[in-house]
Amino acid sequence: MAWNPKKLKIAAISALLLVGSVAILAFATYLMRLDGQIRERFAGARWALPAQVYAAPMELYPGLALTAPEFAHQLERLGYREDALVATPGTFAAGPSHVDLHLRAFQFWDGAQPAQRLSVQFNRSSVKELQGLDDRRALEILRLDPALIGSIYPKQGEDRVLVRLDAVPPLLTKGLIAIEDQAFYWHMGVSIKAILRASFANLRAGHVVQGGSTITQQLIKNFFLNSKQTWDRKLNEAFMALLLEIHYEKQDILEAYLNEVHLGQDGSRAVHGFGLGAQFYFNKPLDELRPHEIALLVGLVKGPSFYNPRRNPKRALERRNLVLGVLHREELLSDEDYAAALDQPLGVVQGRGGGVERYPAFVELVRRQLSKQYQEQDLTHEGLRIFTTLDPRAQEALERRIIEALPELEKSRRMKERTLEAAGIVTSPDGGEVLALVAGRDVRFPGFNRALDSRRPIGSLVKPFVYLSALQRPADFNLHSLLADEPIALKLANGRIWQPKNYDRQLHGPQPLYMALAQSYNLPTVQVGLALGADVVLQTLREAGYQGGAQPLPSLFLGSLDASPLDVAQMYSTIASGGFRAPLSAIREVQTQDGKPLTRFPIEVEQTLPEGPVYLLTWALRQVMTLGTGRPAYAALLPTQLVAGKTGTTDDYRDSWFAGFGADRVAVIWVGRDDNQPTGLSGANGALPIWARVMRDLRVRSLDPIPPPDVEEAMVDPATGLRADAACLNAIVVPYLAGTAPAEWAPCAEAEGFFGREGDSPPLQWLKDLFGG
Amino acid sequence: MRLFHLSLAATVLLLTACQTARAPQQPRPYPEPPVVTPGGGSQPAPEPGPTSVTPVLPELNPPPVEVVPPMRPIPNYPRRAEEVSSPPVSALVRQARQQRAAGKPEQAVALLERALRIESRNAFVLAALGQAYLAQKNYRQAENMAQKSNVVARGNVWVELDNWRTIAAARRGRGEYASAEVAQAQADALDLWLNPPSTPQP
Repeated sequence: MAWNPKKLKIAAISALLLVGSVAILAFATYLMRLDGQIRERFAGARWALPAQVYAAPMELYPGLALTAPEFAHQLERLGYREDALVATPGTFAAGPSHVDLHLRAFQFWDGAQPAQRLSVQFNRSSVKELQGLDDRRALEILRLDPALIGSIYPKQGEDRVLVRLDAVPPLLTKGLIAIEDQAFYWHMGVSIKAILRASFANLRAGHVVQGGSTITQQLIKNFFLNSKQTWDRKLNEAFMALLLEIHYEKQDILEAYLNEVHLGQDGSRAVHGFGLGAQFYFNKPLDELRPHEIALLVGLVKGPSFYNPRRNPKRALERRNLVLGVLHREELLSDEDYAAALDQPLGVVQGRGGGVERYPAFVELVRRQLSKQYQEQDLTHEGLRIFTTLDPRAQEALERRIIEALPELEKSRRMKERTLEAAGIVTSPDGGEVLALVAGRDVRFPGFNRALDSRRPIGSLVKPFVYLSALQRPADFNLHSLLADEPIALKLANGRIWQPKNYDRQLHGPQPLYMALAQSYNLPTVQVGLALGADVVLQTLREAGYQGGAQPLPSLFLGSLDASPLDVAQMYSTIASGGFRAPLSAIREVQTQDGKPLTRFPIEVEQTLPEGPVYLLTWALRQVMTLGTGRPAYAALLPTQLVAGKTGTTDDYRDSWFAGFGADRVAVIWVGRDDNQPTGLSGANGALPIWARVMRDLRVRSLDPIPPPDVEEAMVDPATGLRADAACLNAIVVPYLAGTAPAEWAPCAEAEGFFGREGDSPPLQWLKDLFGG
Repeated sequence: MRLFHLSLAATVLLLTACQTARAPQQPRPYPEPPVVTPGGGSQPAPEPGPTSVTPVLPELNPPPVEVVPPMRPIPNYPRRAEEVSSPPVSALVRQARQQRAAGKPEQAVALLERALRIESRNAFVLAALGQAYLAQKNYRQAENMAQKSNVVARGNVWVELDNWRTIAAARRGRGEYASAEVAQAQADALDLWLNPPSTPQP
């Protein structure tokens, strides 16, 4: 059959139409698919917003132990900068005995605190007065804005701090447009002119020197596509840019870009957006950036790795100055400001990756505690604001003392460098708050968390709980009960014989209970433990907060139970707060992204151990520090600082522990090796010096030596343990649970007169009361 | 000399026994340990560390005590937080009172916790925290805070009165009516002593 030309023509046209229609349909489908992607991406939450983690705010009030230089240091750490006029928030001016500052506004959990100008006057070692700089009104108490110490972002994830366009300095937006996309406000998403210009420049140079992408295209690229330079990707990008411009206002696109753009890398953490960029490089909020700082950030957009100011400062400076030149040319900067900005150094805060002091070990604890109440997704996506208990001053002291001590210890013991590891915790006993936490000597490295996960035998740190169990049986034990220091051989369930020894392999004769603890003798401790039973001791440990799975075996009395530094801090905090257990917490409050209160984690207390016996134990732990194994602490502490504590050393010197407390702080230090090899360090010469220096830095408050109502003090003759009076040389005052002090007089006691005698027994006191003596 | 001591101790014991026999229900508010008041006369509780003839073992919940209106002079203890607290703590306590009066116990808790971080053993702050928890119906913590306040109050009967009221209400809130009665009796006895009715007791 032959086709006539007419039919052929019709067929051809039909085919063409068909192909054309199919093509149009396919193109329409393609556009609709892109459109759908764009709408979906822009509707609702555009980013997974990591939770922002804040330190505790510093409370500022008259009487606070703080000097002017210390305060200035804290302000610098918060990113406040010196400015004699304190004209804008985030500035301060420090003198020898006063500091003026312009406090930043902050939305605290319990209400907003406005920005305000303040004057802080100092005495020699404390805040004397606090007043408004403008109205000279005396103020009772204020909080500094808290430091941002980390964020909880997904693994391999993006970190960002969202900013609204109206909170971005105009110089930044205008500068960004001047540098990246001059025609931003006029083009439709794609700029033909820019593409031609870039192509011409690239042709002339022989390689890619300029990009023709608009801000809209860059945003699309970051949002949807990888960075491969292929034709279909370019095409997608162009169409999506056009579609985006149809759907959204320029301001929306610009705001999204400001929050999306990649500005740097910190290990696995990608720094996105100018809000976080300002924190990451300058440790302050975006609205406090000055022209040279803005110029650096704008310059970084072109290549955050190539122009990395920490790694390539020279290159970064050139780039910054080039941007400053453009800002000046575009009349965004005056001649004066331009000249001044050129003179400025880069001004980037130093430090590993973050610059801003970030505390990965502490944030890990925060994350774990939050995971009990929040889904992982909530923490990494909702932009929650987490207010924690971290005290930056305590953290700084703990880090510094650990970092400086380990090389000293290695050197003095002729160990290979970087052999030793350490962990430490500082808590406030009454509130159960974790104030500082160090998980290893590389304090910025988020690796193995020794403070939380390294469970080691605690050695003699367990002894206080053996003796506390004993002191709860006043009919059988008191602080001066004489304990035998004699060899013990115990047949264990597995048929083996257990023969514990004293640390010094010596026998010391009968020891008063408190002295056995102070000198950390093993044999008397085992004697007491055996008399009580391991299950009783384990119960006491549990009441103090131990949650591990130790078995009630006699070896428990010498510390063959594994615990992390955090566990130990919990147990000692209960002792330090007089028997009230407060579960250690790292979190105070959680706010939503926009500052609305969400959750509080209130202080919880429960009395789990009786106050009287805890007081007696604390008295004995004070003796550890004055006449026992803890004495070296007073090389660092003032003689007037009353503290209590205990050394811990494990077999073959594998673990060196110290745990102790004053009235307001508990600190626990562990020193050892990751491979669990011997270090040659006892608790007294490894962990103790670090502990003592930390406590000195914290200006730990003295223990309150006032006995509770059910405790009475009696003078005792150390030789016999019987009641003494002023005639007895070396007599000591020992606390007893009421009614259990020795009634019998020691031979050395001489009555000086019936009513004049010190340390009368209760009936005599009663008679004195009766006769008004 | 030793013999003299022994005979004296015996006399004392005898006297004590007589005393107990004569006045078996001497009034005494918790938590001070039992103080033997000779001759039925009144004696303020010695403080701190009162001397007592019977050992008092610490207990989480006090044993039931028979309460009779006491007739002892009221010791001169501070009655308000402001009398013993530093200015910043006083300021926070004041703000907390306002928040609680405004029906915002959670804000009050936050403020009181700030105060507690400055003075961790301030019995007034702990007592106020107990009350704020009570307002939040967090009965367990309300009682625990009041108990801790009692421990650090060191005999301040004004604080103790508030705390026993908190404890009684917290126990009622938990449905523990029997132990609530015990706490209420403590509170009532203290109240009668500290705030006697206008007609004098016989």
